[in-house]
Amino acid sequence: MISFHPKYIDLQAFSAGNCEPAMALMISAHVDMCAQCQQDCIEIQADLAGELFAEQAIIKPLDSDYLEMMSNITQLPIAKSPVAQASNASIELDGKFFELPRALRRQVKNTGNWSRLVGKIWQAPVNLGGIGKANFMYMEKGGRVPEHTHKGTEMTLVIDGQYGDGIAEYDCGDFTVMNNQHKHLPHSEADDGCLVFTIVDQPLHFTAGIARLLNPFSHLFFK
Amino acid sequence: MLVGITLENKQINSMKPIECADEMSGYLRLVAQDRCKRSFSKIFNYFAPRLRSYALKQMGNDALAMEMVQDTMSNVWQKSHLFNSEKGSPSTWIFTIARNIRFDMLRKQRNRKEDVCSDDLWPILCEQTADVNEVSLDHQVTMDEIGLLFESLPEKQKLVIEAIYIDGKSQQEVADELDIPLGTVKSRTRLALQRLKEMVQDDD
Repeated sequence: MISFHPKYIDLQAFSAGNCEPAMALMISAHVDMCAQCQQDCIEIQADLAGELFAEQAIIKPLDSDYLEMMSNITQLPIAKSPVAQASNASIELDGKFFELPRALRRQVKNTGNWSRLVGKIWQAPVNLGGIGKANFMYMEKGGRVPEHTHKGTEMTLVIDGQYGDGIAEYDCGDFTVMNNQHKHLPHSEADDGCLVFTIVDQPLHFTAGIARLLNPFSHLFFK
Repeated sequence: MLVGITLENKQINSMKPIECADEMSGYLRLVAQDRCKRSFSKIFNYFAPRLRSYALKQMGNDALAMEMVQDTMSNVWQKSHLFNSEKGSPSTWIFTIARNIRFDMLRKQRNRKEDVCSDDLWPILCEQTADVNEVSLDHQVTMDEIGLLFESLPEKQKLVIEAIYIDGKSQQEVADELDIPLGTVKSRTRLALQRLKEMVQDDD
């Protein structure tokens, strides 16, 4: 059951094509998993299209440039129907396969190897080419990430399983944005653990106890 | 750039998209079935100039705006068979094509290297099912592990680190308490962190 959705204003920006790429990728993956936001986006698109094309300004009749364009276009061949993409639909960790939302499937080829961070937390970096530091993170049952805040923002989408962070419980498809206002301690008690996809724009900042030791090199963990 | 401007207003141009959705759907169908150029010209007449004013606002440059119009209308011509009137109106369909083309043009323009293109973001809707398999893994707890690394530090470094990171004392306070120079506290802290960092890296 999905309880955490992108803000409506971000769905609007996404539908208009005005979102930052990192946020757009996150929202797109959430929309793949969330029927409600899918419906919202369809309605927002219809509204945007209505506004855009209803303009009552005087439309000038087509000049020669347009006519030339039109005749060039009608020379073009018909496009083939799209074929289902052959890209890998899932990622694997230690024999366990996770099916990814469509939006993230093309990122499988950009995903590096899994490495164990600390304790029961695993991480595989995803190279998005500079739009943010992206990772798949997997928490085994009982796995905890030390309590931390964020210097920048961290977007998280639950791909599989459930986890909690002392603020709320998150289920498959839930989307959250954390910033330096939030202090949280993610942990999973789900039998199958929890796989999330995250994009952070700055390293995490650990706030409690001995985990603060990690701060000077937290960028090594949470790239 | 625009020549032959007259104020002659074609009837179809003054209609709202909602009013002409059925009519436009009909034209799209004829384009898809018969490659009907006359029907395409009706669509083109209505949408191309409106797309241009949208494109001009978005791209801020007439050449780019016209490129966007051309790419969008080319897609309409080439993909008309993919239009499904049950899923939305022609204007929504054409808007989404224009939006995607604009997104990719801006991406190209900014020379962004990231691998996120419009096809990834706005697909034809598809359904998802999760596939979960059983697995059992057994590994150490985070805190235990860091604790172990910590325990392996030399006693003097451990004292300093404990006072600073666990008790939350300042380096000066630690220096006073242990009756050692501030510089020594600083160098012990640096050495300890350096060592922990190396151990964590080796641990990977």
